[in-house]
Amino acid sequence: MNDYVIETDALTKRYGRKLALDHLDLRIPRGRIHALVGANGAGKSTLFRILLGFLPPTAGSARILGRDSQRLTPEDRGRIGFVNEEHTLPGWMRVNAVTDMHRRQYPRWNEEAFRNVLGHYHVLPEQKVGQLSRGERAGFNLALALAQGPELLVLDEPTLGLDVVAKRAFLESLMYSNATDDCTVIYCSHQMEEIERVADNLVILERGRLMHMSAPDEFCARVTHWVADIPFKGPDPRSVPGLLQLQRLDGLHHYLVLDQQDDFAEFLRASGARSVQSMPVSLDRAVNGFLAKNHATPDAQRAQA
Amino acid sequence: MPRTQALMLQIATGDPRPISKQIVDAVRMKIATAELSPGDQLPSVRGLAQQLTVNPNTVAKAYAELTAEGWLESRQGLGLYVATPRQRLSDAERSRRLDEAIARFLHDVIALDYPPDEVQARLHREFLALAPRKSA
Repeated sequence: MNDYVIETDALTKRYGRKLALDHLDLRIPRGRIHALVGANGAGKSTLFRILLGFLPPTAGSARILGRDSQRLTPEDRGRIGFVNEEHTLPGWMRVNAVTDMHRRQYPRWNEEAFRNVLGHYHVLPEQKVGQLSRGERAGFNLALALAQGPELLVLDEPTLGLDVVAKRAFLESLMYSNATDDCTVIYCSHQMEEIERVADNLVILERGRLMHMSAPDEFCARVTHWVADIPFKGPDPRSVPGLLQLQRLDGLHHYLVLDQQDDFAEFLRASGARSVQSMPVSLDRAVNGFLAKNHATPDAQRAQA
Repeated sequence: MPRTQALMLQIATGDPRPISKQIVDAVRMKIATAELSPGDQLPSVRGLAQQLTVNPNTVAKAYAELTAEGWLESRQGLGLYVATPRQRLSDAERSRRLDEAIARFLHDVIALDYPPDEVQARLHREFLALAPRKSA
């Protein structure tokens, strides 16, 4: 049995002249924490909107927990928890009223999980949601989503704007709460420090396409940083294999490259390098370099066709 | 009942080494310097994960590697313990790994342009700094 929580086939979404999703084929297996990374406009939010059935695709298909995302029943939705960066909850309702509503709504409601997560925050039952701080609202939102007992938890930038204590409490609830034991988590974030700590699997989207999927350390190992002392002009950037980023610092050429082995040193020497050094890079640097390659830039020279 | 030995270690995000590798390196170093002794119990996977705020699977991966290499042993239902030292690798494998480590070291060091004598002397001093604790 192919057990994927998310499965898309040639999923395409077009907004006018712009392709938000470009024949995306994505298969995310059940279980563990999957980090979804991409530059702004990579198509993450569009993907979630289609997966949750809020938006129809232009072409292709999307399945979530084995169901067609355009035909989700209320029961299907009960199996999916969703926390977005805005932590959208009705501001005029009191905390206990929202909680009662969710308790009635979801048959698999787990009161213990709810209390365990919310216990990290100073949230009083009689407070109105609109009076909670951003961090408290985030905690409350996560507590509701986890208590729902979801099979799939989608978190879109959940820790954006949280202070260090709230952020840590949020990550702890996510990783150590019993409520997430049988739950697949999709974690969208720009914060590599968090991703390094939480992710079992790294998924990189770019311009609506899947660019990479593996364990974070395997991705890291694909990227290396080379420094070459090349007098005069270096090789034409277009001829550099696997080039992600090029910088000239203090007369030295710095190359961030993808999938290059030791023979890259030969290439640099053949291009006139007097000395060549290489080193591994951190996940942050690797992802940054990877996304920077095709990132929009006002500099016409660096823009890719 | 033996008590869990506190594992005083730090991990850093933004390091080229993945977190699981950082844990493996740190535990090996603590065993090599006798900061951890045979029979000491290690923290549970969940416990160490919480201590470091990392995914429990990352700690499990590090522990599995340390166990496979013979640094740790698991006792049924009790947890993980520092194993009694024995030569964990075949002579050929030891020699291969030493060659590899030397090659890596040389790659890093060669461009620094120190005279070989000085590099050797400093390496020797680092070894001596480890030695007393090892025999303690």
